[in-house]
Amino acid sequence: MKKTAMLSAAAFIGINLVFPAAAAQNIRAKADVVCEPTKENLTYDCKIKLVDARTNAPLTGVTLTVGADMPSMPGVHNLRSVIAQAQGDPGNYRAILELEMTGVWALRLDITGATRDRVVKVLRFGDD
Amino acid sequence: MSAEILKVSGLATSYGKIEALKGVDLRVESGKVTCLLGPNGAGKTTLMMTIAGILQARRGSILLEGKQLVGLSPANIVTQGVALVPENRLVFPQMSVRENLLAGAYQRNDKVGIAGDIERMYTRFPRLRERSEQLAGTLSGGEQQMLAVARALMSRPRLLLMDEPSLGLAPMVVADIFRIISELNRDGTSIFLVEQNAHMALQVAHHFYLMEQGKVTFDGTPGELAEDEVIQRAYLGTSRRSDP
Amino acid sequence: MDDHVVSVLSNIGVISFVALSAYLLLLTGEISFGQQAFFGIGAYAAAIATAMWGWPLAAGLMLGALAGASSALLVGLPTLRLHGLYFAVATLAFAEMIRILLELFHYQVAVDGELVGPNGTDGFGGIRYVFQNKIGAFEYMLLIYTLLATALAGLWLLERSRLGVAFRMIGGDETLAKTSGIAITRHRMIAAALAGALAGIGGGLYAHLTTYIEPRIFDIMLGVHALAYGLIGGLGTALGPLLGVLIDIGLLGSTRLFSGYRMIVFGGLVAVLLIFRPRGLLNEEMVHRIGSFWRRVWPTDPSQKSHGKT
Ligand SMILES: Nc1ncnc2c1ncn2[C@@H]1O[C@H](COP(=O)(O)OP(=O)(O)OP(=O)(O)O)[C@@H](O)[C@H]1O
Ligand SMILES: [Cu+2]
Ligand SMILES: [Mg+2]
Repeated sequence: MKKTAMLSAAAFIGINLVFPAAAAQNIRAKADVVCEPTKENLTYDCKIKLVDARTNAPLTGVTLTVGADMPSMPGVHNLRSVIAQAQGDPGNYRAILELEMTGVWALRLDITGATRDRVVKVLRFGDD
Repeated sequence: MSAEILKVSGLATSYGKIEALKGVDLRVESGKVTCLLGPNGAGKTTLMMTIAGILQARRGSILLEGKQLVGLSPANIVTQGVALVPENRLVFPQMSVRENLLAGAYQRNDKVGIAGDIERMYTRFPRLRERSEQLAGTLSGGEQQMLAVARALMSRPRLLLMDEPSLGLAPMVVADIFRIISELNRDGTSIFLVEQNAHMALQVAHHFYLMEQGKVTFDGTPGELAEDEVIQRAYLGTSRRSDP
Repeated sequence: MDDHVVSVLSNIGVISFVALSAYLLLLTGEISFGQQAFFGIGAYAAAIATAMWGWPLAAGLMLGALAGASSALLVGLPTLRLHGLYFAVATLAFAEMIRILLELFHYQVAVDGELVGPNGTDGFGGIRYVFQNKIGAFEYMLLIYTLLATALAGLWLLERSRLGVAFRMIGGDETLAKTSGIAITRHRMIAAALAGALAGIGGGLYAHLTTYIEPRIFDIMLGVHALAYGLIGGLGTALGPLLGVLIDIGLLGSTRLFSGYRMIVFGGLVAVLLIFRPRGLLNEEMVHRIGSFWRRVWPTDPSQKSHGKT
């Protein structure tokens, strides 16, 4: 038991050294997502608008990938991310998602490049 | 009469509203084998469990060499020198033979003494040595009963409680068990034995009790037991009662 | 490493904590359908600490573990005296109660002009610690596996300690454990608290992995899976539940081999194993056999072979 306690103390210190408290301020992203069904079953066309949460200015010059998880079964329905294409006005992106089933999905919007962030949007797919 | 190691008086134990023991009085003599007979449902197991502290007595007292056991925890009672071999030859099925023996010594912390005792058990029960790394659940019924006895002995009890050790075993194995009981007794352990097999019990026991419906209804020597007509018919007659 | 692989491995690592949590209780012979609740409590506590109070990650995870352990103790007080089916149903009821409480839980603060914090059924997003601190997905995965390895090492030590022997004794036969002088309820409380802490850490890691949590994540589905992982993978070693997670998420989930039918395949697998191998693939017998094979290959001093009693 003592050994376990010491191990966890060491782990605690280790993590604090490697992962210190927030210092660098990244840009926080905010997103609006609308997904429309396509002719293909379970395939959705998603339009995403990214802005800087602080200034509300469109977020450009970043790479956006979109994946998804099902909140009802965490960790299990892990949809492989697809790259979203910039389209139309600055900050607008589009991605085609192929889901495994209808229901509630939490979309993972992963932003890399100039800034790094993740925004999660929960949407219901299908008519039920 | 010689000194008594255990004295039970006015003991009552209930399961909810059902009173299984209704004032039991008996004594176990030091260094002797005392046997408790009785039909199914008489309360024999209940008595054993109450002595071991697993069931709580509602009334009465249990004195181990004068020390009150009622109210003590099972752990404490083991430390006082009482060990129980429960009914149905219970072992820890998912643990090896050796681990089962170590489990029996859970209340002790003299590492060297424990290792020595394991060696002693292997000498007394050679089959267990052969199977020391085997999982207890895969032993034969007889081997499991041997292990159950050895496990109980690992706590170095002064008083060994045995609840129907011959139940469901082949005659050869039953003979083995009784040989071990008399060996243990010769080595100085006092034994309180619940048994349905009165024939075998007569060969080892120094004193008998009969329990019926939660009460002691007979108390006597082997000679007196053999002469009692009612007992003869029920326990020593030709019509052997089937096991439950 | 491919992003998707990192993501799948991270999920496997995180879910392993709930599986270990359920496994620890299975060791003491208890079937809990409620470990997802402590996973959820750990997730909320750790997320609140980092995203709302500005705590460092390690402190947040510690708080998650603590919250998991203490709520497990609270739930344990009334339930741990129950047996078998009654215990299983009680844990499920408590877990659902906790989930409903989370649905009613509103506590938000403004961070950079955005409201962050638990918002009932609308969930709790913006748990951005990992992103704010420029911790890469791969690095975070390493953190998950470092902690998982620590937990496994802890369990390995535990199973060889007096306490671990007592757990197995209680799980093996309660009456017999009692006759051997083991205080059942006290040991069950310890097991429950440890299991709660494991689930709590897992929850904290999960929240920071996905950045988003909501009560629905912590419903019975997760609890059933956590339990099933140990039962499939085996109860003979802490690696058993990990094998279960690997089979489900790694094999069935990620290869899309059975895509739409994977729950059916998984359920069938559980049913078949429960009938033919009730204590899982890596059951005690298997572990024992591997152990004695090992001893034959690498003979050690026979007096060192015994365990426990240190
Ligand atoms: N857990 C329990 N709950 C309620 N009643 C019980 C319980 N265990 C035993 N009883 C009742 O208590 C009485 C005594 O049972 P006990 O097991 O002590 O009998 P026994 O003499 O050991 O019988 P056997 O020879 O069959 O082992 C019986 O009427 C039984 O039905
Ligand atoms: Cu599933
Ligand atoms: Mg009985």
